Amino acid sequence: MAEILMSEAERTFILHGIQDNVRSDGRGCEDYRPIELETEVVSNANGSARVRLANSDVLVGVKGELGKPSLDTPEHGRLEFFVDCSANATPDFEGRGGEDLALEISSMLARAYDCPSCLDTQALGIIKREQCWVLYVDILILECGGNLFDAVAIAVKAALGNTKLPVITVRKDENDETELEISDDPYDCERIKILNAPCIVTLSKVGNQHIVDASLQEESCCLSRLMVAVTENGTITASKTSGSGSLNPESIIDMLESGKRAGTLLNKTLHAKLLEEEVKVGTKKKTMGFLT
Amino acid sequence: MDIKLASSRVLRDSLEPVGPLHLVSPGDVITSESGFMRGHGTFMEEGGGNLKASVAGMVDRVNKLISVKPLKTRYNGEVGDVIIGRIVEVQQRRWKVDTYSRLNSILMLSSVNLPGGELRRKTEEDERMMRDYLSEGDIISAEVQNVFSDGSLSLHTRSLKYGKLGQGTLVQVSPSLVKRRKTHFHNLPCGASLILGNNGYIWICPTINEDTDQTGGFVQNLEPVAGGDREVIARLRNCITALANHGIVLFDTVILYAYEASQKYSVKELLQSDIMKEIASLSRQRMEQEL
Amino acid sequence: MPVDNRRLWTPEETIPPEFITKYRPTTELVNQNGKRRDGREANQHRPTYLKAGAISQAKGSAYIEMADTKVIAAVYGPREVMKREDFTMSGQVKCVFKFATFSCKTRQKHIEDDREKELSMTILEALKPAIRLDKFPKARLEIFITVLQDGGSALAAAITCGSVAVADAGMEMYDVVIGCSLRQIGERSLIDPTTDEESHRSLSQSDEKSNETSQAMMTVALMPSINQVSSIIQKGELSIDGAKQALKQCLDTARKLHPVIKQCLNKAVEAKLKR
Repeated sequence: MAEILMSEAERTFILHGIQDNVRSDGRGCEDYRPIELETEVVSNANGSARVRLANSDVLVGVKGELGKPSLDTPEHGRLEFFVDCSANATPDFEGRGGEDLALEISSMLARAYDCPSCLDTQALGIIKREQCWVLYVDILILECGGNLFDAVAIAVKAALGNTKLPVITVRKDENDETELEISDDPYDCERIKILNAPCIVTLSKVGNQHIVDASLQEESCCLSRLMVAVTENGTITASKTSGSGSLNPESIIDMLESGKRAGTLLNKTLHAKLLEEEVKVGTKKKTMGFLT
Repeated sequence: MDIKLASSRVLRDSLEPVGPLHLVSPGDVITSESGFMRGHGTFMEEGGGNLKASVAGMVDRVNKLISVKPLKTRYNGEVGDVIIGRIVEVQQRRWKVDTYSRLNSILMLSSVNLPGGELRRKTEEDERMMRDYLSEGDIISAEVQNVFSDGSLSLHTRSLKYGKLGQGTLVQVSPSLVKRRKTHFHNLPCGASLILGNNGYIWICPTINEDTDQTGGFVQNLEPVAGGDREVIARLRNCITALANHGIVLFDTVILYAYEASQKYSVKELLQSDIMKEIASLSRQRMEQEL
Repeated sequence: MPVDNRRLWTPEETIPPEFITKYRPTTELVNQNGKRRDGREANQHRPTYLKAGAISQAKGSAYIEMADTKVIAAVYGPREVMKREDFTMSGQVKCVFKFATFSCKTRQKHIEDDREKELSMTILEALKPAIRLDKFPKARLEIFITVLQDGGSALAAAITCGSVAVADAGMEMYDVVIGCSLRQIGERSLIDPTTDEESHRSLSQSDEKSNETSQAMMTVALMPSINQVSSIIQKGELSIDGAKQALKQCLDTARKLHPVIKQCLNKAVEAKLKR
């Protein structure tokens, strides 16, 4: 993410504002900016979602394909994350500029989803050691307005919740060979349970306080960030510090607490909205798509 | 914590337009009559007498001069405009300033006041101290002195009301929303000061005392701003963003109406799009009534 | 390393034989006496051997050995940055981390893959706060870290080794950086895990309801004298209290390692003076 130029007076203003719990747009230290969410935007993918968090815009598509399970988990399926920082987002991402950021985001997501209770990967296994579902989660960053990790995590969770995989049954045919049969009915599909999937909360340390959901200006004032992946019941599935500054152990503990609070609230609100969206499927659902 | 579904989105541009509009897109014929002078955004078709538009926008006819004003454009400077800019580079005897125009503007060392307001020749020492006064990232308010042939602007801060700006918030809107007025510096009764730059950069800061604080930006006040003032500034920022998103031209009167209309919500609620629309339409109605 | 065109490419589908065997380790990770498979207590770090100045041609270097984990680091520079646009008033640091191809259970490719790139960035962020960047403007410092043998906690070892190498290079630093890892399995926290302990998963699927649900791995980088944490990387599942506990344990262990590092650097200085 590009560093934007700021004067010293502006930085001081932002710093003092955060200390007083009144940020430059009136939010408190743990408030998110308004988020807009839509699922099922891409018809060719098994599941998709688009999230707009203030000026950040993220589009996620999930495609399921049949592949070989990984060696150390022969009975489980797997998820593969790929992030593409397109040059649409900011001219800095042209060519190979966005690669570092893309790698950071995809490895954080891989770490966050790597625990057995988040997503039931055993349900994605089909034949032990031979076939399993591989879910390719592809993330496209359309616009970069600060706080990308949070927006990406929300979009990934919504897209996975929206994913419909066709039902596969394993049969043995006359020659005693295993055969996979896909159901012909397009509506006969499995869904993925995302109740325990994590959301990422980025806590930026500015001065002596930390804030949630930093805007671009606030991000350029912060030297150090902690990203925490939190599930709805408060379990931390991954965490990572970032930035060239260092943190006090006590501040880390405070930040973990804030992250847990913000994360559980985010998860709850997201679940409620996803349910609301689900109910609308089948009735006249207006697809807003990409029109503003 | 506010997550909305896109399907329940309130369409943003359903505010009714005011009066008949003559909108054109590139290649549209504006008129075939001769005798008109061509302004910005138009070109004469080769071989025919048609005047065509080259940008997408509104046709502006002043007597015999026809021009097309695009809505989303970089700032095109005129002499005498008040602008707010950010220093991007310190060069040998001048600073390069970003003013959201096509080319960066220039602030010459000879166009600034020295500390204390004295007038003297700039010596070598002054050149070396340039970075002490204005360095990369600083925000200044200035006036356009001159427009060069390539379209870039030359600025000056030869008055104590211009100069380096201290603590506050910068809001960026489209330059077409800020029109030329008598004064661009407003001290609002709600407890904050506003500088409307013609280039679309708007600066909101705690109230500037006309007599004591106008030092030309040499004395920087870095003490913490009071919490009440901060809330006022945050509310103003959200109101201005709401008005700008709905394309309402910004005057200090409209901004004050929006501020009063927003009092029934808390500052952070003003970030939601449906509340922004409500405030924009309320302010616009009030503007029309007062006219 | 450049691609060797004369070598026959190994088929993509090769796997190490361990994955086909039905062998399962017979001993528990931690037995009834509280001792781990290698005889340590749960919160005991492996004996650490550190030497600065292992590579004579490099500006600074270090070699660390923690039982089976062997890591070597070399520091070159600061060298002037050639491209004009990259001039900044604070120095730049570049870090390249690599597993040697024979170092892990499965053979690593000799081209840097995504995991190694990410670990490079992580180690860079762990070491940067300790280095006084304003002391070498317009210049770049290069740190190269190679894992010769991965016996567990390679990242923590790499961080410690890297910071000792930077100190050995004579760069001005605020403090050394010490890395420490912890593996949480159910109720037990094991400091400085070995590869077996790192890759341990619940043995049977029906065991998931047992107390082995909490599985997490945390690596922390600490600057002991100024008590600042420069990096935390955690994966797995932890409750918030578990996370706090794990953090505390890692920090305590890192502090215990501090005298070892000081002694190593002092010895290196003595050796240089004697020459």
